[in-house]
Amino acid sequence: MRRNQGCHQSDHRVARRQFLAGAAGGVVGLSLPGSLAAAEKIKGQHKRVLQVYLQGGVSQLESWDPKPGTEFGGPFRAIPTSVPGMHISELLPYTAQYMHLLSIVRSINLKINDHQQGRLFMEKGRRAGEFPYVGSIASKYLAPPNSELPGYIHISTRGLNDSTAAFLGAQHSQLKFEGVKPPKNLAVPQGLDQTADARRIQLRQQFNQQFRRGRSKSLTESFDASFEQAAKLMGRKSFFEKAPDGKDLERYGKHDFGRNCLLARALLENDATCVKVTHHGYDSHAENFNFHLEQLGEFDKTFAMLLSDLHERGLLESTLVMVYSEFGRTPKINVRYGRDHWGTAWSIALGGCGIQPGAIIGKTNDKGTAVAEREVDAGHLFHTYLQALGIDSTNDHDIAGRSIPIGDPTAQPIKELLA
Amino acid sequence: MRKLLCCAALFVVGAAFPANAATPLHERIDSAVGVGNEQFEKTASTLADDATFLRRVTLDLTGTIPTSDEVRVFLADESADKRTQLVDRLLDSPEHARRMQYVFDTMLMERGPDKHVPAAEWQTYLRDSFSENKPWDVLVTEILTADGTDEKTRPAAKFLLDRELKAEEVTRDLGRLFLGRDLQCAQCHDHPNVNDYLQRHYYGLNAFLSRSYLFKNPKTKKTTIGEKAEGLVSFTSVFTQEEGKTAPRMLDLPEIADPEMPKEPYKVKPAKNVRSVPVYSRRLQLADAMTNPSNVAFQQNIVNRLWALMMGRGLVEPLDMWHSDNPPSNPQLLAVLTESLQENDYDLQLMLREMALSKTYQRSSHVADGAEPAAETSFGVGLLKPLSSEQLAWSMMQATGLTANTLAGLKAKQIKADAKKKKESPKTEDPAWQEEALHAALNRNVTTFVKTFGTVGAQSSQFDASANQALFLRNDPLVQSWLVPSGNNLTARLKQLKTTPEIAEELYLSVFSRLPEKAETEQVAAFLNSPQAHTDQDLQQLVWAALSSDEFRFNH
Repeated sequence: MRRNQGCHQSDHRVARRQFLAGAAGGVVGLSLPGSLAAAEKIKGQHKRVLQVYLQGGVSQLESWDPKPGTEFGGPFRAIPTSVPGMHISELLPYTAQYMHLLSIVRSINLKINDHQQGRLFMEKGRRAGEFPYVGSIASKYLAPPNSELPGYIHISTRGLNDSTAAFLGAQHSQLKFEGVKPPKNLAVPQGLDQTADARRIQLRQQFNQQFRRGRSKSLTESFDASFEQAAKLMGRKSFFEKAPDGKDLERYGKHDFGRNCLLARALLENDATCVKVTHHGYDSHAENFNFHLEQLGEFDKTFAMLLSDLHERGLLESTLVMVYSEFGRTPKINVRYGRDHWGTAWSIALGGCGIQPGAIIGKTNDKGTAVAEREVDAGHLFHTYLQALGIDSTNDHDIAGRSIPIGDPTAQPIKELLA
Repeated sequence: MRKLLCCAALFVVGAAFPANAATPLHERIDSAVGVGNEQFEKTASTLADDATFLRRVTLDLTGTIPTSDEVRVFLADESADKRTQLVDRLLDSPEHARRMQYVFDTMLMERGPDKHVPAAEWQTYLRDSFSENKPWDVLVTEILTADGTDEKTRPAAKFLLDRELKAEEVTRDLGRLFLGRDLQCAQCHDHPNVNDYLQRHYYGLNAFLSRSYLFKNPKTKKTTIGEKAEGLVSFTSVFTQEEGKTAPRMLDLPEIADPEMPKEPYKVKPAKNVRSVPVYSRRLQLADAMTNPSNVAFQQNIVNRLWALMMGRGLVEPLDMWHSDNPPSNPQLLAVLTESLQENDYDLQLMLREMALSKTYQRSSHVADGAEPAAETSFGVGLLKPLSSEQLAWSMMQATGLTANTLAGLKAKQIKADAKKKKESPKTEDPAWQEEALHAALNRNVTTFVKTFGTVGAQSSQFDASANQALFLRNDPLVQSWLVPSGNNLTARLKQLKTTPEIAEELYLSVFSRLPEKAETEQVAAFLNSPQAHTDQDLQQLVWAALSSDEFRFNH
């Protein structure tokens, strides 16, 4: 099985250049730049995922596929973007300036109009059944072996605890952050000082040494690994608790989503593998337009800042960025000025690692009531994400006695979107 | 291979191992385990010592570790058949029914959220069933037959009702949980990787239920199962576009043809707000077809699951991947077990008893000195079994003395209440009362452990551990609170003890269910007498280190 193969051509070029720079540094005896370059090299090879999930179902007509002046187009205009000929909704003025980093898929038909089913299909690439989420797959196949952070972190201000790893196992399941609050139980119990904590851990290890003599080690090693991972998280406590920089907060916005995105950036910079940020509240059955004005007003600038930061810091080439929902919203505007659930013809945006930027895939008809060209569903998107990350999604998960196709064998990646 | 029938991997039962009523099953198990390997006894581990056996079997049959007193008594017992007596006593206890309730609830409902039947009612139903040792075929018949209309049998309908009769869930889970075959990938096409799993197997199972639907009674608002008299199942491969159709069938057993449609096909005709009932119900054929003696997959599945429960690994592993390229590791042993299940009318308790009495079950998990570790599939060495969420919770509460403390409180309260009413309090000594009272009082803690250590969805027999579980063990206030000296709990008892050997002994008996070795006593002494020691916390953290160790985390 070939995994982690060619992500992005330039990715390798960058890595190679840094490697050479590092070697040169060594020759003249500057070890520091050398090791920095080496670290950069590892960073460059570690592929990451940023998922921005617009929960409830963002309206494609108020975002990536505007139809101004048509029957169902609504009140907002379309504006040009940094990609000639590509227009998006005027509710996304900041993001519009960075569309040369992203692509749009405008022809998604899930045939699902249910929140949960749509969400599971988008995450698992399968309509039904027990399969891991994209984030758990990233954790399994992309996370560096000695990663300081769990492979799949979800920053959300509320919501359900999903079983995201399926047969990949608990270590690849999602670790949930309630907003910028760090995970539970990071602090040693009250009344226990560092010395006492170190002593009890040492004693635990003494008990274990005794037990392991003459016994098979595979289970006890997994148990130990979880304690090591826990210790690493505890060591990061101050990192999680660090207040964001004031200037950053100014740029990102002093709201939950702004803070959550700043945390996402910090996590990705610190070698997290998949970070998902959920922006709640797009289920606009009533007052769709006011809702989107407000919601996207919060999303737009923050997301644009995050995207440009990732780009400027050289992370975008190794980070797949996806902005998605469980479905879009009906073209038809209901009596309460709302739009309802609509999995039939809607859009997502994605970019970064392995994705050709500035493209528009597929289209809807003039009124936006059906897909007109290049229909895809979440199975195709799922293959596309994984292929972009260099994971051969047509291969099988090989899990203790069972091999399970990674992507739905009946769907294919959107080839023209892959860089 | 493709033509090979799913169940063709069956061996002619009885040919290799003539049924011998004179030889108890546990001895036949041991002969079958070592069959064909003359060196087996030499390379296999010796039997585990009494303390290890006591802990192991108490965990497996009653879901918790023994108390320190139980360990003392068992070690002092000199009767030759004390292991047999112990097994029988455990199987007879109310804790055994609770343990089986946990095991089968997790197996059949996989910790999914409640939909139409409250978990508590279903769990009571399971516990009562195991308490009376209901045969497996009877239990499964009840589960697959109940339609939710009769309040008495409604809890049994949880399996179908809470899956909302969704084909992709029910069909898959019938295959996985009752037949040991995960046919999920055969829903849309013959399985891409498993030659034996065909689309018609999936749709054969599906056809039993495809006419059934959820019906919500407009008055009572209760959801039940209705059924139509018509509807055929056909399917198309998304790969080959080949079409097929099937009547209800169990894997490759013959199709069950519908009888000729009577003039009036309904007992209750379909209409608005009416639950239709057909004269001929395909759904009601399901239980019969499932438990029919010809359906060997059904028998093999349950003996394999019981074997995995007791021995730490199935004869077929994963438990739901039976197919010709993944055959049982010991076909003769499987034949012995399956035959015995049939002979004994699907008596699960008897199977557990005989497994527990076998030498195979009782072997040490230590590889003999200098020996190469045997392959897991040889069952020549005891395998480590991670404690389930419930086992871990109850064992921690037992070890720290929370269980005993709580029971003492509950008894005192009941006796006081009875005295007020001028009643005697005989029931406080009744094991069934004690078990129920303790469960009610401490179940919240169990739920916390299930949330932390359990997984929702298909259960895997693979052990894995996550960082937030370790964080919970290290730092969560719940476990820490059990370490604070209180009443007669473990740390309170340790505090009373004067010398470190006494402390080490009480610690080891309470937490590890055995006596410490000399070096271990010294280790405890070194910890307590260290210059960094400060008495307040030391005893608590001594207990903590033991509770979060490998030896405690696994059944060994």
